[in-house]
Amino acid sequence: MSTGLYTQLLDLACGAFLLAAVIVLWVRELTAIVRVFALQGISLAALAVLLGGHEHRWDLVGVGVGIGLLRAGVLPHLMRRALAVLTADRQRYGTAATETRETQPLINVAASLLTAALLTLLAYAVARPLTELHPTPATRALPVGLAVVLIGFFVLVTRRRALSQVVGFLLLDNGITATAFLATSGVPLIVELGVSFDVLLAVLVLQILTTRMREAFGTTDIDDLRELHD
Amino acid sequence: MPAGASGDHRRAAESDGAVSVIPAALATATALGGAGALAGCSLPRGMRIPVVGALTAGVGVGGGAVGVAALGGSRWAAALPGVLPLAGTHLAVDALAGLFMAIAGAVVAAVAVYGIGYAAGHGPHGLGSRTAQAVLPLFALTLVLVPVAASVSTFLVLWELMALASLLLVLAEHRERASVRQAGVWYAVMTHLGLVLLLIGFALFAAQAGGETFAALRAGAHTVSPMVRGLVFVLVAAAFTSKAGAVPLHAWLPRAHPEAPSPVSALMSAAMVNLGIYGLVRTGLDLLGGGPAWWWLGLMATGGASAVYGILQAAMASDLKRLLAYSTSENMGLVLIGVGASGLFAAYGDRPLAALALAAALLHVVNHAAFKALLFCAAGSVLRATGLRDLDRLGGLRPRMPVTAGLFALAALGAVALPPGNGFISEWLLLQSLIHGLAVPGVAVAVVLPLSVALIALSAGIAAAVFVKALGVGFFARPRSEQAADAKEAPPLMLAGMGLLGAGCAALALVPGLLGDGLDRAVGAVGLPGSGAVAGGGLKVRLADVSATLSPLWVVAALTAALLLAVGLPRLYGRRRRRANARLWDCGGGAPTPRMAYTATSFAEPLQRVFDDVLAPEQDVNVTPVRESAYLVERVRFQHRVPDRIEHRLYEPVLRALAGAGQASRRLAGGSVHLYLGYGFVGLVVLLLILAVGW
Amino acid sequence: MSTAVGYTAVAGQIVVVGAGAPLLTGWMRQVRARLEGRAGAGVLQPWRDARKLLRKEPISPVGTGPAFRTAPALLVATTVVAAALVPLLSTDTPVSGHADLIVVVALIALGTLVLALAGLDTGTAFGGMGASREMTVAALVEPTILLSVFALSIPAGTTNIPAIVHGAVDEPARLASPAGLLATAALAVAVLAETGRIPVDNPSTHLELTMIHEAMVLEYAGPDLALVELGAQMRLTLLLGLLSSLFVPWGIATSPSWAALAVALVLFAAKLTLLGAVLAAAEVFWAKVRLFRVPELLAGSFLLALLAVTASYFLSGAS
Repeated sequence: MSTGLYTQLLDLACGAFLLAAVIVLWVRELTAIVRVFALQGISLAALAVLLGGHEHRWDLVGVGVGIGLLRAGVLPHLMRRALAVLTADRQRYGTAATETRETQPLINVAASLLTAALLTLLAYAVARPLTELHPTPATRALPVGLAVVLIGFFVLVTRRRALSQVVGFLLLDNGITATAFLATSGVPLIVELGVSFDVLLAVLVLQILTTRMREAFGTTDIDDLRELHD
Repeated sequence: MPAGASGDHRRAAESDGAVSVIPAALATATALGGAGALAGCSLPRGMRIPVVGALTAGVGVGGGAVGVAALGGSRWAAALPGVLPLAGTHLAVDALAGLFMAIAGAVVAAVAVYGIGYAAGHGPHGLGSRTAQAVLPLFALTLVLVPVAASVSTFLVLWELMALASLLLVLAEHRERASVRQAGVWYAVMTHLGLVLLLIGFALFAAQAGGETFAALRAGAHTVSPMVRGLVFVLVAAAFTSKAGAVPLHAWLPRAHPEAPSPVSALMSAAMVNLGIYGLVRTGLDLLGGGPAWWWLGLMATGGASAVYGILQAAMASDLKRLLAYSTSENMGLVLIGVGASGLFAAYGDRPLAALALAAALLHVVNHAAFKALLFCAAGSVLRATGLRDLDRLGGLRPRMPVTAGLFALAALGAVALPPGNGFISEWLLLQSLIHGLAVPGVAVAVVLPLSVALIALSAGIAAAVFVKALGVGFFARPRSEQAADAKEAPPLMLAGMGLLGAGCAALALVPGLLGDGLDRAVGAVGLPGSGAVAGGGLKVRLADVSATLSPLWVVAALTAALLLAVGLPRLYGRRRRRANARLWDCGGGAPTPRMAYTATSFAEPLQRVFDDVLAPEQDVNVTPVRESAYLVERVRFQHRVPDRIEHRLYEPVLRALAGAGQASRRLAGGSVHLYLGYGFVGLVVLLLILAVGW
Repeated sequence: MSTAVGYTAVAGQIVVVGAGAPLLTGWMRQVRARLEGRAGAGVLQPWRDARKLLRKEPISPVGTGPAFRTAPALLVATTVVAAALVPLLSTDTPVSGHADLIVVVALIALGTLVLALAGLDTGTAFGGMGASREMTVAALVEPTILLSVFALSIPAGTTNIPAIVHGAVDEPARLASPAGLLATAALAVAVLAETGRIPVDNPSTHLELTMIHEAMVLEYAGPDLALVELGAQMRLTLLLGLLSSLFVPWGIATSPSWAALAVALVLFAAKLTLLGAVLAAAEVFWAKVRLFRVPELLAGSFLLALLAVTASYFLSGAS
């Protein structure tokens, strides 16, 4: 693959990656959010495969494929199942819509998007010295990874629905993985395996938690959880 | 040990042979320590205690052998890169480290023998339990190894291991008394506070000096700015003086020592607190290479305050082990005065005098270790026989426990710093160095030295009262409780351990010249010239225009001759008759009961009245009248206590402020998950902003 | 030859202190009696008392132990060693090298300590009371004594007593300096406290609650009491002798000659007679202070000693 083509494809993947994160902030429907997250997983996988192919590292390609399967396949599936369970008994009363939409987030959508822009700028400022260390197409795209980390954290902080929080956490992890790939061409296989397993476990736990929350409170709005203090 | 005038070639050959002693002995000690820990975990109760005791004694002997070899002139250094991650381990043995290792080794060996007898007499819990027996050899090993550390990370790791091991041992008897847990908490908090201070101080020093091994620190110390050096010294001195038990950071000492099992108290008081002094001498005089006068004046002030405050609190204490713990604080105060004086004289350029002061301080550390270990062992013997620590309820132990009483008297003689005890020798040397310190110019010196002499004298005088109280009220007269009346002598192993320590005390009292060259080499290890003060049969001080001699052996011989004279002459003159027994003078009112005797509290009452302002005793009288009439008294409750005033004034406000801060910060925990996540997010963003802007 | 003189000097010091102590006490009591308008018992009365007591049956109270029995002998022994060391008659004796002022002070303190232990060993309230008070006073006197030692050693450059005395003989102006006078006053008060004289303690009181020294030795009888009394009297003689050696050193033999020794003996007797008479006369006009005013008195003497040290330092021109 020629360098020019490679750089273009890489930038495309990173752009899609960042765009997906921003769209998560924009959209209200939880089903849409999950779909966008799956797209982000695909772009992350594409990123890994591109890097691996360019450097002729087949382990990296393999890792990329695995990531794609996990984050674009398994995780969105689990989240859709949780969503289905949540809305199952609401169908009868026609209140399913309230469950599948994100209620008013703490910071409204417009402000969230502005914040996302600021966070992206911050990511560029922080990543500049790192990029200057070794300017390659991959490291030039480093700020994208950091920006997604910050956006994912932001989603985690400001969303009310438990499922949105799960998405935020997963965005955070996607961003970290992307940063790892872009900065150092991936982490050792065993680390990636460990991290992926952790993520899987976290999602499973959060899924159970969501179910329990709904059973206890009738809703998955985390504003109702106020007992965690002295 | 080569004593003085052996030929050069023979000394070289001896040191060649001795060089291989050090690594072999160190390895042996470590191996025995590990074996002891394993034995403590795995052996059944019957075998556990003797085996662990024997292995711990082996650790002590090994460490002592290294110390003696180092005092004889050998040096050794090694770097083991693999043992600790990142930094590796650096070890080095010189004469200063050797002195402290020798002290620790000797104390460990004797106390281990004593401890076998002590633990065997207690139940399955306490010192005989698996945990305590497994940790005891490790504690002994760390006591011996801390002086060997030659880099910051090695030192801190060994220091922390020592603290953890001693904490576990202090808590050994937690099932028996609730106060043990409180003592453990205080000890844990204060020793870790000290560790944090040490960490900050050493990290600062290492960062500025460009290396973390002691050699690098020594070499780079002069490149560090005076302000940073001062800060490092203050932090490190605070931590080390806290470990040594000097006020104001002494609060753990009178709590932890009484609650720990007696062998552990002996180890802590006679070997562990010395390491605070070691750290101070090593950092202040060796690594930092001395400093401006204000460092040492502060140290002397701390030492003087500890000496007087410690012995005053000891005078008020009626708990025997608390009394001994405060006495440790006093003696460490005296040592700090010596170390401070040494630094002060060095700062003004009078190096021979500085060497003399340091030699006096180190000699006092040795003597204190000997008599304090013996005192704690004897107190443990009493505790085991009667179950009591309270002097007010003891008494009459001499006829029932004659060997323990005799050894306690021997150690008390050392503690009161009077001839022919061993404490007198080091105190004499300290006084000589202070008295002749007026040759050093400076108004601060002219004011501080007489005050130090006065404080030393006051603490020595009160120490005499304290140990007369401990010995007279605790052992003489008649028993004031049933437990004291039923006391029996300690088993032979305990007596053997105490006997070893007593032999050490006697040797140090009669022939301090045994230490001779070793002490000079230890002082020389920090760069001061050897003073040749302790040599031959006694002590000689020979400085520029100053001289004094003390020959302990002569004093003992003279006293013995005079005693024979005093005993013999009346016999010659009076008619020889047998001694008759008579009743005590009872004013005609019937035989005095044991309860009429002066107790420890009453003995200390005049001193308490004199020092009323300093001690601020609290008295509480509760009168309960009879229901029918307010003028008839049914019951009166009287309570009298002498609190630790420094704790009251210094610690309680700090603890209250911390509690207040904790309460205030409860408002930070609102309960909302968003808030908690928000804290993390904002923190991360701020950090990144700082990084971005800072670059 | 010189060593024979030296040994004779040492033996002479011991004999003079040992045999002369009861004489001094008798003299002081006689002076006091005369000043108070009484006839007095005679100068030799303490010797007669000692002879009477020595002939009596030795008695041990029930419940006491070796601490009680050996204390009188130890007291006398420490005083004898101190008497051998302090240059009462001669500064050039075989033991001059060992005569350190701190050692002498410590030996005297050791004597106090063993007596206090004996008092506690009796197990009576009086014994404990006396021991407690005695140790308190001894503890408070220590700083004064050691600071006086400090003050005295500054001009001589050593704490060796013969050297200090020798220096004082050579430079009498030193004694009239402020430092010397202050040190004299401080040490005088300290000596009064150590020997248990008025105003610190009344040696002839019969009221147990006012006793310090007497309460400790209440249980002693017969030969033990003779030794205890002798010990106390020897301490008084020794300390007065120490004062006179330090502050009125003329007459002490500085060379090993028989003539100098004889002169020293005569002059020593004269000095002590004078000092004893002055002390006895002062005691007529003073009263014993309350026990809890004694610390104030001792604090005052401590201040004098501290001033002596600082004056000696600043006035000797040291920078």
